[in-house]
Amino acid sequence: MPKWENRCKIALSGVGYSKVTRSADVPLAAHALEAVRGAVAASGLEMGDIDGLSTYPELPATGHAEVDGISIVSVNCMMAMLKLPNLTWHMQVGSNNIGGAVQQAANALLAGVCKYAVVWRAMHNPKGTYQNLPGAQAAGASQFTGPFGFGGPGQHMAVAYTRYLERHNQAREKMVTLALTQRQHTQHNPHAFFYGTPLTREDYFNARMVAYPFCLYDCDIPVQGAVAVVLTTAERARDLQPKPAYLAGYGQRLHFEVAGRIGSLADYMEGGASSAKLTWERSGFSPKDVDVAQIYDGFSASVIYGLESYGFCKRGEALDFIQGGRIGLDGELPLNTFGGSLGTGRIHGLWHIIEGALQASGRAGARQIKDVNVSFVGASAPIVTGTTFIFTREPY
Amino acid sequence: MSDWSQVTRPVPVPNEWTRPFWEAARRGSLELQRCQSCHSFQHPPYATCVKCVSVDLKFEAVRGVGSIYAYTIMYHTGDRRFAPAVPYASIIVELDDAPGALMAGNLLGAPYTEAKVGRRVEVVFEKLNDDITLPQFKLAASSTATTG
Ligand SMILES: [Zn+2]
Repeated sequence: MPKWENRCKIALSGVGYSKVTRSADVPLAAHALEAVRGAVAASGLEMGDIDGLSTYPELPATGHAEVDGISIVSVNCMMAMLKLPNLTWHMQVGSNNIGGAVQQAANALLAGVCKYAVVWRAMHNPKGTYQNLPGAQAAGASQFTGPFGFGGPGQHMAVAYTRYLERHNQAREKMVTLALTQRQHTQHNPHAFFYGTPLTREDYFNARMVAYPFCLYDCDIPVQGAVAVVLTTAERARDLQPKPAYLAGYGQRLHFEVAGRIGSLADYMEGGASSAKLTWERSGFSPKDVDVAQIYDGFSASVIYGLESYGFCKRGEALDFIQGGRIGLDGELPLNTFGGSLGTGRIHGLWHIIEGALQASGRAGARQIKDVNVSFVGASAPIVTGTTFIFTREPY
Repeated sequence: MSDWSQVTRPVPVPNEWTRPFWEAARRGSLELQRCQSCHSFQHPPYATCVKCVSVDLKFEAVRGVGSIYAYTIMYHTGDRRFAPAVPYASIIVELDDAPGALMAGNLLGAPYTEAKVGRRVEVVFEKLNDDITLPQFKLAASSTATTG
């Protein structure tokens, strides 16, 4: 299979962040605007240069109203705030998460229908219970799950995790290494929610259980915040302020699920493997070439499924693979070097993409890994229409 | 043992695809959708066979015995309807007669600690109202003996 003809023709330029807060005191639109302005300024561009907009505006909390500007920030809402004079392209993806919004922007740039695209992800933390499930009836897809107390995505992912642990004779206690390592990495990321808050072994083992095998520290904390990136062609990116990170390849996978069926472990593995295969083929790299990896960690087990299905280690071995300092900043495969969602709070996969690009282009500051050439990103749980990316330091 | 007596389960709302499943359950029978072309069972019901895309699907009775494919123990009390029962086991069952067709349920009549991947279970029917009865699961007779 030949490499992608558009390999390294697109680059990620500036990135921006809003404040990440636990409560939603400020409308989400303000967070999104702060992140977008930050990304545009960091690129050395004026807002009037931006001619492409793309996002994935979903609110993962159930039972709450989707109010544009308050609980989601759509393309329409962003345009209402920015009133871009030169907008020539926009896209709001529905089926493949924030990674898909980045991929669509790359495609639009390759097609020449815009020059500088901004992609943002804004995440709301509603007041009250995050998964608000008050109904007396279970209609549609939930009729086969709701009556048995299968509520939010945590339980859905937890069932695959018990299957994983018991079929591979693994121990959930080994996950403490991931939680502690990522929290250490978080201490080098001042934008993260848990910056300045350390985590100990005792904290992890004394934490309340949420949905076994997941304890509190296996789950990312709901927050209010936004991050944003500027994408452009490699040629244009070289004239901008930051050193560009080149997009060497990407992959995606449609999880063709039957509504109401709870995803099995096999679904995660197939989802991750097929998305990664495209990414390896298009980029011409393999897991052995990767210097640093960001793998989506809304729930800790996603990292385990990712490491295995993307091909970094064998099936059933990821909980051993992460031990012994391998995933630390000095390790053989530094992982979630920005702290992951477990460190930043629940902002979904765009922050993983940001960190992948920062590491590839030497812009990761205190947490920069030495001599990064190839940087891998798995930007969503492998089952959830997973997307994967490779960024490189040079347009190899 | 989880106390289910105070739990208000949301009541399933059958639709045109799922009504035969719920009507069978009301009669105390477990029936799953089966492809008449490739003979595979599937669950939840769907418009087409997920294996061969045939639309020739019928509901057929299966024996209500199988194994726990996966499970989770719920501790979080965010869902107030189920809070009185925490911790409780929500399980996924693969029936012997319908490999690959995974059914959700709770493990009833046993401590939640008895939920383990591979443990043998059998169906029990939990009546919610005159229209709706839930197929649920308990440890199979042969299984309880070994677990004390
Ligand atoms: Zn068939």
